[in-house]
Amino acid sequence: MTRIACLTAPITRPEKAEPSSSTELLQVALAHSPRVEDAGAGRIYLDATGLTGLFGDEPCLAARLSEAATSAGLSVRVGIADSRIGALAAARSGPAVVIIAPGGDAVFLAAAPLSLLELSEEMAARLSRWGLRTLGELTALPTAGVFERLGAEGVRLQRLARGDDPRPLVSWRPGPRFEESVEWDWGLETLDPVVERMRELAAGLCARLASHGLAADGFAWTCRLGDGRAHEGALTPAVPMTDGAAVGGLLRLALEARPPRGVVEGLTLRARPVRLAPAQESLTDRSRPSPRLLEATLNRLVALVGADGIGAPALLDSHRPDAVALGEYLPHSGPLPRRERGRTPRGPQPRHPQTNPMIDSLVLALRRLRPPAPAAVTLASGRPVALRSARLTGRIVAGVGPWRSSGQWWGGQPWLQDEWDVELADGTLCRIAHDGSAWHLAGIYD
Amino acid sequence: MAIPIESSPPPGWEREGIDDLLGSFPPGRLSEIVGPRSSGASSLLLALVARVTGSGGQVAFVDGMDALDPASAAVAGVDLSALLWVKCGARLRPALSAADLLARCPGFALVVLDLDELGPVPASAHIRLQRAVESSDTILIVRSARHREGSPAALVVGARRVAPRWTGLRPLTRLAGMRSELSILRSRPSHAVSPARAVSPRGEGRWTLDWIL
Repeated sequence: MTRIACLTAPITRPEKAEPSSSTELLQVALAHSPRVEDAGAGRIYLDATGLTGLFGDEPCLAARLSEAATSAGLSVRVGIADSRIGALAAARSGPAVVIIAPGGDAVFLAAAPLSLLELSEEMAARLSRWGLRTLGELTALPTAGVFERLGAEGVRLQRLARGDDPRPLVSWRPGPRFEESVEWDWGLETLDPVVERMRELAAGLCARLASHGLAADGFAWTCRLGDGRAHEGALTPAVPMTDGAAVGGLLRLALEARPPRGVVEGLTLRARPVRLAPAQESLTDRSRPSPRLLEATLNRLVALVGADGIGAPALLDSHRPDAVALGEYLPHSGPLPRRERGRTPRGPQPRHPQTNPMIDSLVLALRRLRPPAPAAVTLASGRPVALRSARLTGRIVAGVGPWRSSGQWWGGQPWLQDEWDVELADGTLCRIAHDGSAWHLAGIYD
Repeated sequence: MAIPIESSPPPGWEREGIDDLLGSFPPGRLSEIVGPRSSGASSLLLALVARVTGSGGQVAFVDGMDALDPASAAVAGVDLSALLWVKCGARLRPALSAADLLARCPGFALVVLDLDELGPVPASAHIRLQRAVESSDTILIVRSARHREGSPAALVVGARRVAPRWTGLRPLTRLAGMRSELSILRSRPSHAVSPARAVSPRGEGRWTLDWIL
């Protein structure tokens, strides 16, 4: 029979939690058992099966764990039981050490609160509505009825409440450390060989990162100098990288900008790993621009047209003509559902906007003039009959309007606009507008 | 079984034809959509952008004249979040450079260079754009008022205005749309799409479309 020990540290507020205490707790557990699971939040499970020959019986093991934690500056409670939940309940039940005899989990857990099961909010609310407070009350329910109402999850919780936990311990493994070092018997006085060694280290690190499916969003290096001093530097690429050649080039530039002052006898390069989102979520998705290339391209585009000239268009919640903003462009892998696409704007709509996909895309486009071109419009009987502007000039042969819109009359910047759709003698269809004081050419239909 | 009235195509509408036309712009090649003002060329461009974003592709729209109306694009079915809009402020050289940069950035299904009446564009610029895009799967479209002689475009689609469509009788009450005619001015046999696909239902390489407002 498997026996599991649980070490719990006192619960601290998250902002005051010390990461080092969790590490020390882990070290204490690893010093006593080869199979240790880090459950987070200051809770460690360890396999206590077969440790009698090493540490004596279970009370002796619990006492040794407690002493080791105390000597590490930690105050812990120890519980030993047949299951994780039993060991946890024992550790939380009061005294520093509680041991549940083999086969006694179900009885011990009967009085434990339901919160021990770490229920989802919805499940906790449902069980609370049923009037359940303890694990014993949950196990007392007929299993068939629980399955009928809560499904397989209900049955699993009921088994767990009895101490029947079939999941094996998930052994803790140290994460990979992405650090490479090199030492020389003689010092390097010039920068080029140092850069070359650095590039070799970067290539090795990047290959290891790629083999783990990771990339690095930061590099830091330390050069051990001949006089005992250390030269340190760091590099943060614009996007996480795994390309050894590219990283090597960036490191060369960084070292040339700030070279080590002295003879270099040793070099250490460290990478900060991050997991990258895949460029293509699945085989059926269209590929997206590579994050690294896109970042570089966007930066060059910003240099060309300015930061306020590039982005993803977003319609603003306003009836003001041309109420558009530029948001951050974040390419995604798949199309949004149609209902989540851009907000339907004001004004004339397609005759059957969403009911007929055949005509969904056949929309007459308006080409905006930004800023609207000042225009002189001749009126006859209140209707425009001629247009003259720097962009378009001609006799108006047909026109409809005015379509009036206004806004912000309740605020400090009221606006008013009368719009006309007109056809010029040469066939050009355009939109002209009068803002209360002057005419302008707002756009051309194309 | 009753057929809902919404499923009846409007006059002039040839679904298979326009779908084939939109699907005929070859990846890895430069194509052109040309037409004067109010010819329907920009509407065709929006239909193509909507088709690409609707299938999950990313689109870069280099707007030489800052003329894109996102409201029209949204109504046409364009997923605005999949659209990278580059406004060039009526400057030709930044527009050409931006299109060149984006054509060399893999991952965009479609790159549009909307020049309209901006120009004149040197022929070398078209050749450079063709070189930039030819090693990728990106469709590169240049929309301009007229076809540039010497352009290496694989497909050139011309648009011509036929007539506006109004609603209401004396007085007219609303602009309902516009009818235009599209035709293939050039289709080089080397482009990846079978020439048979770029044939209108009437077999003449011409489409008459009603764009609605």
